Amino acid sequence: MSPTASAGRPWAVAAGLALLTIAAAAASLVVGRDGSGPTFGFGGPELADMILREIRAPRTLLAVLVGGTLGLCGAALQGLLRNPLAEPGLLGASSGAALGAVIVFYFGLGGASPLLLPLGAVGGSLLALAALYALAGRRGDFLTIVLAGIAINALAAALTSLALNFAPSPYAALEILFWMLGSLADRSLAHVYLAVPVMLPGWLLVAAAARGLDALTLGEDTAASLGFDPTRTQLLVIGGTALAVGGAVAVTGVVGFVGLVVPHLLRGVAGHHPSRLLAPCFLGGALLTTLADVAIRLMPPGPELKLGVVTALLGAPFFLHLVMRGPVRAA
Amino acid sequence: MTLAAIDVEVRYEARVAVRATTVTLEPGALVALIGPNGAGKSTLLRALAGLVSHLGTVSWHGTALTGLDARARARTVAYLPQDPPVHWPLPVRELVALGRLPHRAYAAGESASDVGAVAAAMRLTDTVELAERNVSRLSVGERARVLLARALAVEAPVLLVDEPIAMLDPYHQLDVMSTLRDYTKGNRDGAKCRLVVAVLHDLGLAARFCDRVLLMNGGAIVGDGAPDAALGAAAIRAHYRVEPLIARYDGEPLVVPWRPLKP
Repeated sequence: MSPTASAGRPWAVAAGLALLTIAAAAASLVVGRDGSGPTFGFGGPELADMILREIRAPRTLLAVLVGGTLGLCGAALQGLLRNPLAEPGLLGASSGAALGAVIVFYFGLGGASPLLLPLGAVGGSLLALAALYALAGRRGDFLTIVLAGIAINALAAALTSLALNFAPSPYAALEILFWMLGSLADRSLAHVYLAVPVMLPGWLLVAAAARGLDALTLGEDTAASLGFDPTRTQLLVIGGTALAVGGAVAVTGVVGFVGLVVPHLLRGVAGHHPSRLLAPCFLGGALLTTLADVAIRLMPPGPELKLGVVTALLGAPFFLHLVMRGPVRAA
Repeated sequence: MTLAAIDVEVRYEARVAVRATTVTLEPGALVALIGPNGAGKSTLLRALAGLVSHLGTVSWHGTALTGLDARARARTVAYLPQDPPVHWPLPVRELVALGRLPHRAYAAGESASDVGAVAAAMRLTDTVELAERNVSRLSVGERARVLLARALAVEAPVLLVDEPIAMLDPYHQLDVMSTLRDYTKGNRDGAKCRLVVAVLHDLGLAARFCDRVLLMNGGAIVGDGAPDAALGAAAIRAHYRVEPLIARYDGEPLVVPWRPLKP
């Protein structure tokens, strides 16, 4: 294979994924659900505009943006920690963000400014990732990192449960539960506008770390000798992930395992080069999340499954499989 | 054009790893940095590479390296640690091309000079036929040569290498030593003279291939000169605590550590 061919392949993969994501998004705009199960199209013409604008468009947009965020941040964290088991959910970034959002909600701060909700989530996510670094260190081996993630997740879950325990009303309890379960249902464009201004700078920070992640392939000394200060790369990835995941979790709650599964699946086709995985993983995350959300609407009648529950049900066994196999080093 | 270290001192908390060291190194030379274990060789090399905080200054051509921006510094001084990790199973050619990162703009493809530098580095290290192999499937010696190719691909005027031949079989030890020597002499088309500083443990290869030997012990440079002068029997006895066998064969120096000296 010529050098240009191997360098061009991730872009071919990205182009293919982009087309598939557009197709999935189109399906997500068409597939709906009422009490009796899946529906297709938009019902009556007078309803079509409203359903599209108020229900399906926000849901589809959020699936793409949140899924993309999780895929991108999963790939970046794996590159940073040089460990294929890193993921925003497993490292506590998502549950920290959920806790931040719940704290803002619980103390009624969201009334002051709607922007406080995503900012609270960003703060929680940042704290979780900072704690992870303090616990596992820059050179932490994969077991230490995973254990630190478990500890942070447990603490965040405990504090979120505490808020749930003391919830002033059943309504408040349901709201808190929403962030724990993760869902795209009943979101409006206002949620999109709330999340995007926080996510976008996060994506840009992560993207700015691309070459630094490549340099880290050969360890921190070599990365530094190539002109890419590992500390700067860490700050970019951790800050960017906190922003992007914070924005995502603030409006959809915790959607786990997307950031774990997507980079793993795409390494087979796009290669292991960390920088060349970022764009494909954004698109792959968007595609997977959109498809999962469409699948939810195709389920038989009954209470709608939450997206976060579905990704956890599919992702946890996948994670277990990766752990059993040990640190992944195969091509 | 010299690499000058002035009063470079490295402390790890209370311990002084490298005592205030002043040394000037000219391009066109392969310099051996030798000494017993714990002498401070690797630490001095890391200080020259700007990887460890130190007192004093390291400058290239009169410009302090700390005054350069990170990528300009990376294009000036390449560094190859001893047995560095390779965290992702990349194809060999992609790994060697990582050496071109300081030359490449964000998201830019490989330029003609990138392609040329990678090809030249792989030729010099005898790794061309490994190009499409996965780095995780290489033997220890193949891996060491591929990593050397990565460092050569930077095409920096200064190359600092920490024990580049420790993992290699005799054939590739000899081959890598002459590769490093050729790299300093600018034998490649149009290439300028370069400086290579190599931490070595093999006294014989240091004596045969290097233009200059820096002998370190206890964090200080205790011997500096041409191999014949710096690798004398008295210096080897004093600093390595071994009785050397020193001879000449085929007009070249032959230095072999023969037996340990009893204290």
